[in-house]
Amino acid sequence: MDKHDRSADSTPADMTRRDVMKLGAAATLAASLGVTDSAAAEMQTGVATAASSGAKFFTPPEYALVEELSEMIVPADEHSPGAKAAKVAAHIDGRLAEAWEPADRTTWRDGLALVDQLSRDTSGKPFLESSPAERLSLLTRIAQNEQKPQKPEEHFFVELKGRVVHAYYTSEIGIKQDLEYKGNTYLAEFVGVDLR
Amino acid sequence: MNILRLLLQRTQPPEVDLLRTYDAIVIGSGAAGGMAAHVMTSQGMQVLMLEAGKKLEIDKELKSMEWPFDHPRRGGMPPGHHPLSLNEYTIRQPPYADNVKAEKVYSYVQGWNGADYSKNIVVNEKEHPYTGTNYAWVRARCLGGKTNIWGRLALRLSDYDFKAKSRDGYGDDWPISYKDIEPYYDRVDEYLGISGVKENLPYLPDGHFQRPTRLTSAELTLRNSLQKMNRILTPYRAGVTTDGLKHNKYRSRCFGRGACNRRVGGCDIHAAFDSPTGLIYPAMDTGNLTLRTNAIAREILVDKNTGKARGVSFVDAESGRTYEAKAQVVVLAASTLESARLLLLSKSGTHPNGLGNSSNHVGHNFCEHVMGPGVTGLVKERIGKPRTLDDGRPGGFYIPRFRNLTDKHPRFIRAYGFEGSSGTQMFPGNATDTPGFGAGYKKTVRDYAGAFISMGGFGEVLARYENQVDLDPVRRDKWGIPVVRFNYRFGDNEKKMCEDMADTARDMFEQAGFEIVGVDRNVLTEGWSIHELGTARMGNDKKTSVLNQFQQSHDAKNLFVVDGSSHVSASCQNPTWTIMALAWRSCDYLVSEFRKGNL
Repeated sequence: MDKHDRSADSTPADMTRRDVMKLGAAATLAASLGVTDSAAAEMQTGVATAASSGAKFFTPPEYALVEELSEMIVPADEHSPGAKAAKVAAHIDGRLAEAWEPADRTTWRDGLALVDQLSRDTSGKPFLESSPAERLSLLTRIAQNEQKPQKPEEHFFVELKGRVVHAYYTSEIGIKQDLEYKGNTYLAEFVGVDLR
Repeated sequence: MNILRLLLQRTQPPEVDLLRTYDAIVIGSGAAGGMAAHVMTSQGMQVLMLEAGKKLEIDKELKSMEWPFDHPRRGGMPPGHHPLSLNEYTIRQPPYADNVKAEKVYSYVQGWNGADYSKNIVVNEKEHPYTGTNYAWVRARCLGGKTNIWGRLALRLSDYDFKAKSRDGYGDDWPISYKDIEPYYDRVDEYLGISGVKENLPYLPDGHFQRPTRLTSAELTLRNSLQKMNRILTPYRAGVTTDGLKHNKYRSRCFGRGACNRRVGGCDIHAAFDSPTGLIYPAMDTGNLTLRTNAIAREILVDKNTGKARGVSFVDAESGRTYEAKAQVVVLAASTLESARLLLLSKSGTHPNGLGNSSNHVGHNFCEHVMGPGVTGLVKERIGKPRTLDDGRPGGFYIPRFRNLTDKHPRFIRAYGFEGSSGTQMFPGNATDTPGFGAGYKKTVRDYAGAFISMGGFGEVLARYENQVDLDPVRRDKWGIPVVRFNYRFGDNEKKMCEDMADTARDMFEQAGFEIVGVDRNVLTEGWSIHELGTARMGNDKKTSVLNQFQQSHDAKNLFVVDGSSHVSASCQNPTWTIMALAWRSCDYLVSEFRKGNL
């Protein structure tokens, strides 16, 4: 356990976070990457969240990417907030940071890099800098073989969605606001219908 | 709750006195051991109970009301702790923890909300290996054993089970009839509490039921539809006190807090029966029970002149030191497979094949329930409807057996029943299965979350002599004790029964008007039901059985084996209530024989 904890502490995540802090502001980073205004605004939020929520494994750009992907999978709608508000990325980050199997972390690091790579291949930009339509098109593409994933990006989508969905529907927002779950409370009588 | 905790703290065990000869030693503290302690101590016998595991602060383990988001890992185990998966049990061979890198490896038992709540209750497989054929063997080494996490379905057997051989010619009849055990089922109902609805079925006798749970509208639809097929759906008969028990200060009545299945079945207000609060603490209050935890029974010691049991050698789980405790009677209740293991470990000059094993039947006739086939249906009227509270109850429904009652099925003998439920749960199972992503996905999950109904079968596995466990000649556990080796497989009858299970499940849902979402035809790995039975069966013939009708050894009359190992056949009904009724009956006999000086 001790050994594991130390190795978790020395992940690149910490280094990168310190580097970002040195830059002074997330906006600086976004600007230096030459992103569009709306994407910059989103990224700013993402990076700021990553830094302030103390991501333990994801780098700030990775954290922002996970937040965006999770919100695309379970978005806010008129009924309830989505994955971002439910802090799904922070939960996944915490689990990966302490994961016993290094392969769990590699899967995510490689998977997120692959998403960006695929985005560059099609739109010439990393995922977060591509247009909403381009993002949707890419996610739709890697989601299409969900039942029988073949390609690495399809396997990553299954992993991504599995963790996002579990994290969202075990969150307070998922349980209480989206599903309006009424249980886990003391009832004087059982609820249900009478026989016959 | 604070008052309850204070009461529990007051029940401190007296120290075990190794110089003294106790009236009886009970090995094991689960349903059978707890009942043996209750029956003997309430009639004045001085009893020492040996439990291999710890006395846990169980409410701190179960945390029945904790929201998933208040758990640091949403119910998941800490890094380095690994619960075995179905896949591992299927594609790998025991010992399952071998070559697993994780620090601690646990058997599969867990709810959807993760295995963290059961990790201190079930054993670490690295310390408790076993060998041989595939088997998902769940062991709970702590005070109360598996009763801390059981599924709570509390059913009676009938003469369709006890006299099954007389009906179809297979195997052996039990040495008792329903009328022998009926008064003891009644006593178990009254003493521990049970919820249910009377149905007047000869093959699933009614009990003394407290307030029943209620069905969802979809379940009532299925019940009404089944009546046309001459089949029954009844609300879950739960070993849960729904009205409370005036004679038991450790247990509250059920408050339908729901989500009982998000953990592993445990209940921190102890409305669901568990052996510590239901049986052991009240037995300690008599002043006649001494409890020694962390005491791993290593051997039942035998008087070399009389061949009778004289005590138990046990290893302290923490220090590894060996001790001997003495008693006039030994009651073995360590669970079906651990009891067989201990009998086989107890070799002596008078019992060269193991204690009570002159028949060579110890470890044989091992049977259980086969699981896997089932069905999930969609109740279209429920889609998009306002949220209802459907899991505020300890269980859904039970469909008792219907095969081989009056008819004779052409392909298999014996029968199966179904357990199922419907409606909303804290975690929407359909979130995992619904394809896609985005606003449409989210709305579909929400609209459909309460609209599913599902059930799965539990079928009788025939008792066969060749299905057995023995001791591995090489492998030892952490304390140097030889481990169990499995030689056990499902047979042809089970496979054919499972095919029928899947077909009838689908048919019943279709008849009820549910849209079929999925039919599961896969048979789960041996052991999945956690209903091991039969390794020291009762019988009238000492050449083909280990125990008589009072669970008393044919070979050593002051040795009783009161757990599921005594069962002659598995039936298809869940065994816990029968284990306790039989133990009560046998221990009543034991006390009277003890008084007469016959033991």
